[in-house]
Amino acid sequence: MRAISVAYDWLINAMKVLSGIIVVAIFILITSDVLLPLTGDLLNELGFKVTILAWEGTLGVVEYGLLWYTVLAAPWLARIKGHVFIDAVNELLSEDVRRVTSKIAYIIVIAGTLLLAWFSLNLLIEAYVGDMIDERSMELKLWWIYAPMPLGFGMVAIEFIRYLIGVDDMFGSRTDVKEGM
Amino acid sequence: MEWYWAFAFMLGLVISFMALGVPVAFAFVATNFITVYYFTGFDWGALIQVADNSTQLISRFTLGPVPMFILMGSLFFHTGLAIKVFDGLDAIFGRLPGRLCYLTVAGGAIFSTLTGSSMANTAMLGSLMVPEMRRRGYSNQMSMGPILGTGGLAMIIPPSALGVLLAAIAEIDVGRLLVAGFLPGFTLALLYAAMITFQLFRYPDSAPAYDVEPMSWGARLKLVCTNILPMGLVIFMVVGFIVLGWATPTEAAACGVLGVFILAVLFRALTFSAISTSVEGTIRVGAMVFLIIMNSTVFSQMLSYSGASRGLIEWVTGYELHRYAILFMMFCVLILLGMFMDATSMMLITVPIFFPLADALGFDLIWYGLFVLITIEMAGTTPPFGLLLYVMLGVAPKGVTLFQVAKAAFPFLVCDAILILILCAWPQLALWLPSLM
Repeated sequence: MRAISVAYDWLINAMKVLSGIIVVAIFILITSDVLLPLTGDLLNELGFKVTILAWEGTLGVVEYGLLWYTVLAAPWLARIKGHVFIDAVNELLSEDVRRVTSKIAYIIVIAGTLLLAWFSLNLLIEAYVGDMIDERSMELKLWWIYAPMPLGFGMVAIEFIRYLIGVDDMFGSRTDVKEGM
Repeated sequence: MEWYWAFAFMLGLVISFMALGVPVAFAFVATNFITVYYFTGFDWGALIQVADNSTQLISRFTLGPVPMFILMGSLFFHTGLAIKVFDGLDAIFGRLPGRLCYLTVAGGAIFSTLTGSSMANTAMLGSLMVPEMRRRGYSNQMSMGPILGTGGLAMIIPPSALGVLLAAIAEIDVGRLLVAGFLPGFTLALLYAAMITFQLFRYPDSAPAYDVEPMSWGARLKLVCTNILPMGLVIFMVVGFIVLGWATPTEAAACGVLGVFILAVLFRALTFSAISTSVEGTIRVGAMVFLIIMNSTVFSQMLSYSGASRGLIEWVTGYELHRYAILFMMFCVLILLGMFMDATSMMLITVPIFFPLADALGFDLIWYGLFVLITIEMAGTTPPFGLLLYVMLGVAPKGVTLFQVAKAAFPFLVCDAILILILCAWPQLALWLPSLM
């Protein structure tokens, strides 16, 4: 059991790290998309006969990357209580009532994310079996866009099951200011 | 179902879930499943659309600037470049009454051109300036008010991450909305400076003058050249690239990150720790916001599908109210929502309703987008739950109450309201720069 728990924690962190790598990759892809053609023009003006073109796949890959970046980080955000919630009403309730409302809130999240995981798994299988193609700036396999969703949302459900059974309390930090924009 | 019942049903569900404490992103998920199930005649198979449609908005290139602007701002703060700007500005102001207040406004306005996050801006200014202001005998009013006002400038002055979100959700031109905030943002900074002057005139003891180490004009100029002017590179790489049409907003945002990287290297401030902390901050804020957007997409579609959006527009425009009266009503709703909701959530709930309405009333949507951003900024400093108030409270000295923070913010809210009136009277202040694009 302990080994599973350690492996699960490792997976959450690995997904977060992958999410960070995707952000950096998006930055590199977009800047090279802008700078490479400019470099080519500059070299041509200096007399070098070269043609440097931006990679046509940047747009499509960045678009997929934005979704992966979001979904992969979701379980980690649930673990660190990073999903923004409104505690204005809960603050007004007594401790006993709040215990009940928080359990209801957890159950709503679990139900919603499990449904999302289930239906995205269906979409993933359908796109994979049908070998569906997504026409963006380049042809991308459609199943790639659904790939992180069953895992990401499934793990968010697990995180909220932890809250539900009392391993941790999401509202424990309710007076903290959540980060935002 | 009549549109008003559909409207009440959907809005009631999502707000009830949020009130229960369900995280905003998942309040939308639950609402989506329930409403799709109901409006499709209890068709279980239709629920797959909730998962499918949620991928639509989030996988658009136009949302690319959001993580880039957050990364840019984080790098700016974590590499210590922000402190350098402040040192440079500090040298400009001599022995001036209320100099730290003016310094806050000038620093905050410059920070706003380099970061897209008002919360980061407020936290940075608060932690940097409040202790110094207290040490110099500034009153609560004078130490916290300018910071709260100026912190919010990041929402309006480009690059604004919230502006990108708003434009993407409302399906208006991201670049034009970002650029539209430039002149009104600096006008607001001038209004803040005028408000500080007025307060100093009325209460001269609230921000006493103090002796500062004398510095030659040559030394001042040198500090400005080394610490402030290089930041112009980043501003040009973002705002300049967009206005000149050299890059899309997403490309300009990535170039802005590159600009901060270059400056950090030149100032020998780039460390692995600064990069990893900044990337982690980008995941923490960006992914959280994106998850909310992802799940609110279906909510907007259902508002439209159920006929609630169209019904509301027909109902409101059916009354012969002046369009500015309706604008005022929207303003009140946003302020009211902002009292207990974060900026992204209130935007996602109101945009699908308000933008078509504003369009039907004949408002320019870029202008209206800016109006929404200013109002959201105001809502963030409105008690009892305005988030910027809590950020300020977090860095304020012990014993300061939320009421005192809100009271200090009030004169600066008046400035925001004056800016809205100026924009109503003279929309070109916002629309002139975008018209050059």
